[in-house]
Amino acid sequence: MKDLTPQEMLRIDLHPPKTPWMDIPVKIKPGVYCYPAKPEKLEVVGMPHPHKWSPLDDDWGLPEDWKEIVLNGMRERLEKYRSFKIFMDICVRCGACADKCHFFLGSGDPKNMPVVRAELIRSVYRGEFTRAGRILGRLAGGRKLTEDVLKEIWYYMFQCTECRRCSLFCPYGIDTAEVTIIGRELINLLGLNINWIQEPVANCYETGNHLGLLPHTFKQNIEFMCMDIEEFVGIKIDPPFNRKGAEILFVTPSGDIFADPGIYTLSGYLMLFEHLGLDYTWSTYACEGGNFGFFTSMEMAQRLNAKIYHEAKRLGVKWILGGECGHMWRVVHQYMATFNGPADFLEEPVSPITGTKFENAKSTKMVHISEFTADLIKHNKLKLDKSRNDHLKVTFHDSCNPSRGMGMFEEPRYIIKNVCNNFYEMPENTIREQTFCCGSGAGLNAGENMEIRLRGGLPRANAVKYVHERFGVNMLACVCAIDRAVLPASMSYWVPEVKVAGVSELVGNALIMEGENERSVDLRGEPIPGRGEEEVSEDV
Amino acid sequence: MARGGIDQLIGILTEQKGSIVEKWIQKIHETYPPETANFFRKERNKFANPVGSTIQEAAGPIIEELLEPRDSEVFYKHLDSLIRVRAVQDFTAYAALSIFFALKGAIRDIVGKQVRREGLEWALLEFESRVDRMTLLAFDIFMQCREKVWEIKRDDLLKRPFVLSGGMCASYMVRRGQKHLKKAKGSNNPSLN
Ligand code: SF4
Ligand code: SF4
Repeated sequence: MKDLTPQEMLRIDLHPPKTPWMDIPVKIKPGVYCYPAKPEKLEVVGMPHPHKWSPLDDDWGLPEDWKEIVLNGMRERLEKYRSFKIFMDICVRCGACADKCHFFLGSGDPKNMPVVRAELIRSVYRGEFTRAGRILGRLAGGRKLTEDVLKEIWYYMFQCTECRRCSLFCPYGIDTAEVTIIGRELINLLGLNINWIQEPVANCYETGNHLGLLPHTFKQNIEFMCMDIEEFVGIKIDPPFNRKGAEILFVTPSGDIFADPGIYTLSGYLMLFEHLGLDYTWSTYACEGGNFGFFTSMEMAQRLNAKIYHEAKRLGVKWILGGECGHMWRVVHQYMATFNGPADFLEEPVSPITGTKFENAKSTKMVHISEFTADLIKHNKLKLDKSRNDHLKVTFHDSCNPSRGMGMFEEPRYIIKNVCNNFYEMPENTIREQTFCCGSGAGLNAGENMEIRLRGGLPRANAVKYVHERFGVNMLACVCAIDRAVLPASMSYWVPEVKVAGVSELVGNALIMEGENERSVDLRGEPIPGRGEEEVSEDV
Repeated sequence: MARGGIDQLIGILTEQKGSIVEKWIQKIHETYPPETANFFRKERNKFANPVGSTIQEAAGPIIEELLEPRDSEVFYKHLDSLIRVRAVQDFTAYAALSIFFALKGAIRDIVGKQVRREGLEWALLEFESRVDRMTLLAFDIFMQCREKVWEIKRDDLLKRPFVLSGGMCASYMVRRGQKHLKKAKGSNNPSLN
């Protein structure tokens, strides 16, 4: 601590104060907060009050009537969302949720207890909107909205990944993730979004995907992976783009098109579709399954989601197949049909290979790639050589959204067990509904907040470490692009021996394709042990 | 200082090991806010309480190794797990490492009176220098952890779309490039040697 004199150093007390949370002022720290949104990225989508500011400054450049804006926004949402009003009213502060959040568990900061996180906003609700709170103030758990309170809310709304683990344990079903969602909406009324969310939103609006890949780059990156496949597998693939009249539109998060190791999951998709001779198409317009709008406001989520149905209509496809993504599936499963449906120009999805009707997708017309692949395996439509994955000892991380958000637990496990011989589950209280978040979801996968990401990633990593030490697990499989982007960082800090892969990558490795090479390398171009090509010495 | 003194002290410390471990754990917990400390102490499930269980699992073996050095790898592993957590939590470097000085306090709290009664003050000082050496080692580990965090931040940057818009992620390109280089080298391409 550079600002301590040697004398002060001698007097230092290392014990934190025993003060109630409301009296501990917020201290915004590097490594925890994300950089503010660039004004031009707010302007692109017409969001209010774009301005330059820094979380470390005293003056955040708020509009003069900021307090009124927030309180009006809150009033409006209390009327509009019954759930929000209920969540504000009924918490009995029983504490059942308190120790369930990965950010509390990893950081030890009591303000990361879900009950306190919600209380940051609830105290303002009481202090500004309820009679008891207005009169009794602190005695009734209320406080007024001040700049410091706003800063505190901002700081902690961006330390919640909206994972909903806490809600699983609340006897009243209070969903703190929804409180965070509203909290972020209020923050956005003042132009205080973080750039890591806002830039993808603006990109998605302008180019169709978070990364801002232009159509030719999007296409070129997919072709890149086709070149890899040709080299490693010996199969030439010429994927279809923007093809009108295809039966199926395939949409996946753009992380799969751009970033290592998601791109190997992309190879898996490409090979599977080629092998099946699937009548499908990619779109360079609806080229993002993810939806950072969902981390901004409901309205933005709706706007960005709309392009998927528009494109499906324009291309005249029958139904939509979706890739491995987390929050994309929460949006599809819980909101898409009401946001932008009914999609009655589409048909109820039927697998052209097995004839299976995906009745669960009747309303959205969108099927998850794991459901599709599991069905193929179940009907013996894939020839698989599991032994190609024998050097891998695999465990599966349930991503928060596909598990808690849509209830998908079995399909990925079924696939993994059919393409790998070595599969080990992590402890029960860390998987399925109770899964721990990767620690970087809901738009918090930036680089500048790495300390909080690593804190939040600890509970998941702790369980991975256990199966690594006990069974020698060396591969963490998942069905989410954010997981693939962030778990490698978390693993390299907590359990460096464990790598990360999408389930479809493991499928691609095991898939026996007609006319393929003798496989000596995997989809990453790395030698498969015992299959000929050994690693050339590392010292380049 | 006669050899007997330190042996006698180690005997006393070994006898009181359970209480010392407990006291040290309590002092580590106290570096967190009270409600957090309470949770770290109470929740016994390893997976529901990763920080608390890391402290719980590391403290005993570390003290055992100090009393009777046996397996330096085990010692290092436990030190690492303890520091790795604190290196990314909301602590300054001195606060993160203060727990090793707290161990001295824990020992004095438990056996201080007996040490004085039996005239073993010098032996205690000698033992405390073992704790100091461990603290230096801990400092090394702390720095490695911090450097690792920066390394991760750097690698993360390579995967950022905004750095290299309009192409493939840099980390993939670097890996691809290296692979081709390695292959070419393997085939003895003279231009690369
Ligand atoms: S939704 Fe997840 S991140 Fe947010 S408070 Fe609940 S457990 Fe924590
Ligand atoms: S479990 Fe539910 S009622 Fe209990 S403190 Fe948490 S949010 Fe409130």
